[in-house]
Amino acid sequence: MTDASDEFGASETSERDEREQKPIPEAGFLGRWVARTGNVFAVAIILSALALIYEVIMRYGFNAPTSWAHETVIFLTAITFVYGGLYGVAMNKHIRVVLIYDMLSPKLRRIFNIVISLACAIASMLFSWAGWLVVQRAIFTPAGDFRLETSGSAWDPPTPGLLKLALLGILIVMSVQFLILTFNYLRRK
Amino acid sequence: ADYALRFQSSDPSGNPNFELQQKWAKQVGTLTNGRVTIEMLPVGSIVKHTETQDAVASGIIDGHVTDTSYFAGKDAAFSLIANPVGAYGSPSEMLNFIEYGGGKQLMNDLLNPYGLQFIGATTPGLEAFISKVPLDGVDDLKGLKMRAPEGLVQNVFQAAGAAPVNLPGSEVFTSLDKGVIDAADYTVFSTNHKQGMHDVAGHPVYPGFHSMPLVEVSMNKGTWDKMSPDLQAILEMSVRDFARDMTNQLAMRDVVAVAEANANPKITVHNWSAAERAKFRAIAKSQWAKVAAKSANAQRVYDVLSTYLVEQGLLKE
Amino acid sequence: MMDLLALLPDLKALGIETATLLMFASLLLLLLTGMPLAFVTLLVALIFALGWFGPMAIPLIVSRIFSFVNSFVFVSVPMFVLMAAILDRSGIAKDLFDAMRLIGGRLRGGVAIQTLLVAVVLAAMSGIIGGEVVLLGVIALPQMLRLGYDKRLAIGVCCAGGALGTMIPPSIVLIIYGLTASVSIGDLFTASFLPGLMLASMYAVYILVRAYTNPSVAPICEPEDIPSAEKLRLLKGLVLPILVVIFVLGSIYGGIASVTEASALGVLGVALSTMLRREFSLGLLMGAARQTLSTVAMIVWIGIGASALVGVFNLMGGIRFVQALITGISDNPTIVILFMMLILFILGMFLDWVGVALLTMPIFVPIVTSLGYDPIWFGVLFAMNMQVSFLSPPFGPAAFYLKSVAPPDISLGEIFRSLLPFILLQMLAVGLLILFPGLAWH
Ligand code: NA
Ligand code: NA
Repeated sequence: MTDASDEFGASETSERDEREQKPIPEAGFLGRWVARTGNVFAVAIILSALALIYEVIMRYGFNAPTSWAHETVIFLTAITFVYGGLYGVAMNKHIRVVLIYDMLSPKLRRIFNIVISLACAIASMLFSWAGWLVVQRAIFTPAGDFRLETSGSAWDPPTPGLLKLALLGILIVMSVQFLILTFNYLRRK
Repeated sequence: ADYALRFQSSDPSGNPNFELQQKWAKQVGTLTNGRVTIEMLPVGSIVKHTETQDAVASGIIDGHVTDTSYFAGKDAAFSLIANPVGAYGSPSEMLNFIEYGGGKQLMNDLLNPYGLQFIGATTPGLEAFISKVPLDGVDDLKGLKMRAPEGLVQNVFQAAGAAPVNLPGSEVFTSLDKGVIDAADYTVFSTNHKQGMHDVAGHPVYPGFHSMPLVEVSMNKGTWDKMSPDLQAILEMSVRDFARDMTNQLAMRDVVAVAEANANPKITVHNWSAAERAKFRAIAKSQWAKVAAKSANAQRVYDVLSTYLVEQGLLKE
Repeated sequence: MMDLLALLPDLKALGIETATLLMFASLLLLLLTGMPLAFVTLLVALIFALGWFGPMAIPLIVSRIFSFVNSFVFVSVPMFVLMAAILDRSGIAKDLFDAMRLIGGRLRGGVAIQTLLVAVVLAAMSGIIGGEVVLLGVIALPQMLRLGYDKRLAIGVCCAGGALGTMIPPSIVLIIYGLTASVSIGDLFTASFLPGLMLASMYAVYILVRAYTNPSVAPICEPEDIPSAEKLRLLKGLVLPILVVIFVLGSIYGGIASVTEASALGVLGVALSTMLRREFSLGLLMGAARQTLSTVAMIVWIGIGASALVGVFNLMGGIRFVQALITGISDNPTIVILFMMLILFILGMFLDWVGVALLTMPIFVPIVTSLGYDPIWFGVLFAMNMQVSFLSPPFGPAAFYLKSVAPPDISLGEIFRSLLPFILLQMLAVGLLILFPGLAWH
């Protein structure tokens, strides 16, 4: 183990990655799946950087800005941000104020964990329900035909519709993840 | 009040457009003797400007005053009716289309299925063009790196040989300043001038040639249907008056701002000749048909609008 | 489910004043339970949406989540974090700080001041603060701790320095203010330059005073002579970082890339640097990207929660509430301005700056202008005030961003305690800007 003031060498960072990019055990099978799928979105971040660099080269170098780079990057980062929220839940990476939490006895802390996870689960379920209302307007025309909402630009990709759908999907998985957490905190004394 | 309504604007609070909208909202309270009150909220205060249509439909807010172009992603018809680039030479030509040329019926046919009622339209007027480089005609647009928002404007400039860049409004200033882009579609001359755009891009084109957005005033249809006919009539008439207020006052401000710009040796205001404007119009019209092909509604907008323009001698068949 | 919802009290009956207090109190209370911060704000937004309007208002929160992530402005956050993560995995950061220590020489606090300088340079590259605080937290914090700097001083430099991103142009705070108040963004940038540097200098003076009054907070490490060959080797550590800085700043100020695009060029620069040092590998890149994913998630979801809360508060009539607070407060313009500052400080404790701007600007700017003040000066004053909001507890975004990457033994409480002197300096800067409006020269 290295202490905090120690320097991190290359091998130590990869060890640290191993340690830090793991779901908490209470997240269960879903947590492990969320962690693995995280790789897809890590790649999306790298692709976003590449797309922006490509856009700069094409515009500055060849006076031929793309019509797709900015919208693609917005879509990739947006979907990554949303997925990141779920990823953070499975990894228990979201910021908390643990001033009081840390002083609790293990018994009391278990109760806190149960209540917090349950409250978040209920909130996520309500957001999922509301998400469905939002999504309906983004994937159906008023006549009821399936049509993904587009961005309205010259390129006009269906990214707003896709993103709203993805948001709904991720909110649902997040609800399930919080329920699994609640269940596992309940089960493990 | 029988109806305490919340409207969201697509303009920020200090913008002259917003101040005029606020005045209209207050006026409605006076005209209805307090039976209808409207609270005008600035852009983004409740939902993002692109999401107000959904928010009005679902009853989160009661109405909006917004550029219809923002809903181009819902139906291409919104793109065409909101900004038929090159169609109008003055605000009254657009407002006449809405009031007397079938525009109002068309807007309601488009909006009612979404759960919105169109009350009336206004416009800030012909938008001026911001440029760092002198532009005196269509040929100067070749290869011009310019910012254009979503919608028909982008297609038209592309067809005119420019290289449109997708940038959000918040990056327009710095990108122009540093020269990432040479030109930008932004807003009317006086507001551009006030925001210092001409200090970093000293070759504005005025009067504008490219864009006159339709700003719709619409509200939740369920609430509208509940209103008594007198209230509905007051609302409609107040918007008609509001449009006159807005277009005239902004045009007057433009004149003052242009004089200020002309007095500034660092700014050269360019005015396109009638021939160059016609050339640009022709390019724009070639793009209308492309948008019209995107949906049945868009085709209807194309047909009704063309009929009006031909009737009024604004378009040769 | 819907039956349960009917059990919620009708919050609307409380009135906006009581409801606002209740909202802040419930934020504080839920925060202290240890619930993840992003979900605290989301939950409070949800409770008030339900209790004030009923279930039909919940889509508002979802709409705000969608709108928050679907924006170009935040694209630079993952880019900055990715830069930090790659730097962290290479030896560049360590070599840079070894070189900085050499240059700092016998000046006490030298490395902290150089870190501040790095922060100012970063501020000139970026208009937002999330990525910068994380970058300093990943790179500078462990290095300052390694060199024996006082923990609190090091934390303060990273948070306060990182927050300078919105005080030194380009700045999204000033851009939004300019669009809101309809004043020249160029003038705002010019006017904020001096106050921004003034704030940075105040931090530097504070570091020096601390270092010389208590040498243990900023030790001078090796008094013995270093052979010049070794010196030269150490100084080589500066070359690549400086090249990357020139590359990024050059692309912005040379008109090659927009501010957001430049952050991606920064990633390219840093990746190329690791290649030149033969440290690059696909594993390194993926590790860095995964760290970026989890760090960015924390940053963005804090913003998402704050944005949802503000949307609900605005719908409840937040703007009218602020209007009622300020109306008839005094005929004395100075007292009006001071009262506005107080409102901004207090709102800044609980809301993020976008929310504060949305709530207060529609009210404040017309008043300020009618009192005969310069709206440009007020914009700079607002940006300075938002510097405080980034650091002030309980909702201090800079502290949260740093916490997300700081060594686990550094608690949020410790971070906030470290920030106290810096908050006082920021408030002093606000005071100076009110006393000497000429500082906002344009
Ligand atoms: Na900056
Ligand atoms: Na704060």
